[in-house]
Amino acid sequence: MTAVEPRPAGPLAELTRRLTALGGLEVRGGGATRGAVTVRTLSEALEQATHALAAAPGARLADMFADRDARGVTTLRLVWACGPGYLVTEAEIGGDEYPPLSDIAPAAFVEECEIYEQFGIRPGGGKPLNRVMLPPHAGADFPRLGHAPSRPPVEMHAPHTVAGQAFEFPFGPVRQVGTESLYYGLVTSGEELVDLYLFTWHKHRGVEWRLRGKTPREAVFFAERAEGLSAVATGLAFAAAAEAALGVEPPPQAARTRAVALELERLYNHAAAMAALCASTGLTVGQSAAEIALERLLRLNAAAFGHRYLFGVVSPGGIGRALDAGALRRDLPGAYGELRRAADALLATNSFLDRLEATGKLTAEQARRLGLVGPVARATGLPVDARLAGPAPGPYAAHPVVVITEDAGDVLARFRVMLGEAAESVRLIGEFLDAGTGTARAELPETGGSGLGWAESPRGEVLAWVALDEGGRVTRARLRPGSVRNWRGFDDACRSQNVFTDIPIIEASFWLTVAGTAR
Amino acid sequence: MNEEEAAARRLREAIATQFGRSLHIRTLDTGSCAACEQEIRLLSAPHYDLHRLGFFFTPAPRHADLLLVTGPAIRAFDVAARKTYEAMPGPKVVVATGACALGGVYPEDRFVHGEVAKVLPVDVWIPGCPPSPLALLHGLGVAVGRLAEKARELTFTVGDAG
Amino acid sequence: MPLWFARGLRRGVVTTRYPDRPEPAAALLPTPPAFRPSLLTAQVAERLVQACPSAALRLSEAAMIFDAGACTACGRCAEAAPHAVAASGEWELATTARSALIKEIPLAGEARQ
Repeated sequence: MTAVEPRPAGPLAELTRRLTALGGLEVRGGGATRGAVTVRTLSEALEQATHALAAAPGARLADMFADRDARGVTTLRLVWACGPGYLVTEAEIGGDEYPPLSDIAPAAFVEECEIYEQFGIRPGGGKPLNRVMLPPHAGADFPRLGHAPSRPPVEMHAPHTVAGQAFEFPFGPVRQVGTESLYYGLVTSGEELVDLYLFTWHKHRGVEWRLRGKTPREAVFFAERAEGLSAVATGLAFAAAAEAALGVEPPPQAARTRAVALELERLYNHAAAMAALCASTGLTVGQSAAEIALERLLRLNAAAFGHRYLFGVVSPGGIGRALDAGALRRDLPGAYGELRRAADALLATNSFLDRLEATGKLTAEQARRLGLVGPVARATGLPVDARLAGPAPGPYAAHPVVVITEDAGDVLARFRVMLGEAAESVRLIGEFLDAGTGTARAELPETGGSGLGWAESPRGEVLAWVALDEGGRVTRARLRPGSVRNWRGFDDACRSQNVFTDIPIIEASFWLTVAGTAR
Repeated sequence: MNEEEAAARRLREAIATQFGRSLHIRTLDTGSCAACEQEIRLLSAPHYDLHRLGFFFTPAPRHADLLLVTGPAIRAFDVAARKTYEAMPGPKVVVATGACALGGVYPEDRFVHGEVAKVLPVDVWIPGCPPSPLALLHGLGVAVGRLAEKARELTFTVGDAG
Repeated sequence: MPLWFARGLRRGVVTTRYPDRPEPAAALLPTPPAFRPSLLTAQVAERLVQACPSAALRLSEAAMIFDAGACTACGRCAEAAPHAVAASGEWELATTARSALIKEIPLAGEARQ
């Protein structure tokens, strides 16, 4: 297990300089977007800019989304993570087509599909686009963020060539007890898995659609319920985006309190993932031990913040629920000790480790190409962590995170990363408590603006982008939980060399949610 | 007590006799945020252990007595919800759990029905966001007639001294 | 496996005695609000209705209608009117009748105009 020290650097400035040297680009002010520089491009220059960014070392395509404003103009935005900050390219798209960006950056394919369903604009080149977000019956009048595509998307998945017979085995959306609804199409030639595709549209609630017209404080209630197991991270990314848009900063005490909640969320999720790993391998004693740790951590959340899942802790401007720091200090060691003892026992159980090793392997190259985040990416060696992003004075600037990475990229590596992160979370919570926490909340002015926010959820980087009108109400909110990024790595991890019984193990090691993807 | 109430009372007694000591539960997610599912999974964890109360999870609707439903009843899920319910042989009990399933959080619109009762015939409602495993145990106890309901008598008011 | 067996014995029983005995950990749970009718003027009630993100509160002629089933215990009503709202402490809310969760909380003073 290697720990990677965060390296502050200036690639963002360098990149901006290189982009503007291309011509046809205008840099818009970066101050209010806190580490996110916005570069407005003409749509003709978009392809060139994307090439430059995709080729830049250390640049990662973090998100792509569109917006249709009151004038009917559709704007395409790409969010690139570069070194310690983010760069947003904006291009107005006239007509129905824009350059085929996923040919340059494969990480963009799922987003191209989503944009087509929601806004009716598509990449040039005629590549078939899949249905990803909206259900099959969603006709032209189904509520959308933009307007319907002229031709519906297809039900398509990767072509496969397998000697002999391969058949598709539909599974779900009603699956094992206590799991979310999710449809898998399993393509198999028997025991071996040839291909796996997912439909998440059974759980599309239209969260981004229903945030429109709400104030940031009204909206965060729904944003945190987009993915309830990442309520703090999603709420925090959204709140940070609104704060950036309004030029507001939460008081440092409140920022540290939010970070405490974020680390508590990481802790309980990693315990839950551990329990799910044991369940998937049939190790019931391990599952019970992990569940005892999980329950103690959830009770710790309730004692510290008044809610087992930390709903309502983050509020734009600051904090929504008070922290009982004394209760947290008192109960954290016991709860973490429970987790640590269960993990140590598992690491000494060979029959368990044998199921994890070499299962669901991903390479660093796959993780980079697909733009994966979180423990899934870190287990392949990529040191991506949203807590490293952004300039001071975020709480992690004064309390640097030691990023945990592994090399093997398999289930065991992801498990080890989660355990290392849990220890790191406990250490960080101690530091934040020592530095002082509080419930202050900055006032939000009723003005307009747009901003980018981010947070490191237990399953990876969450991004949020918000545009507010002059009355301070949302005109467009983009939520991109970590789950959205990482499901596309799931079928790669499941394919070849893995058998059916490995699928639940791989799913547990990813620890994503359907809710966060389907929104 | 009128005829309808008498019938309801006989049904509840029948349920208590049939399910009181051995109840098989199938879960159904109509679009939750995933927190409700995590609390439901904890019912079989050591702190709560639903088995000691004669409750069991089953993946097969054919073997299930009780359907534990979460989520605001997303319309795109209607077919799967009905198929699961209809695959359960009678007698069966439907329990809607969580604020979303009870009509809170998401209003009725083009995406969702807003409450499970619009899609399935609900017998027991368990509030919470998410309902804790303790609240779920209370709800399951009410569903099989072993625990008393309190909601009717609660006023959700406090006097000045409170 | 002897490792796990020994661990289990050492760890002991953590299982709750609920429902036979009360569960102390229940005191940590967030619960729906309880309202103070003497302080619930029409004006305060309006504020509470506005504050609720889950449509658990609405107004009628002389009462505020509270739907404990739609309530998420988010605390925004308590934040909007801290003197008129307390925590109810109630979490055993399951019912066989949906209407049992819908309560009329009388408004203080005159009926709403």
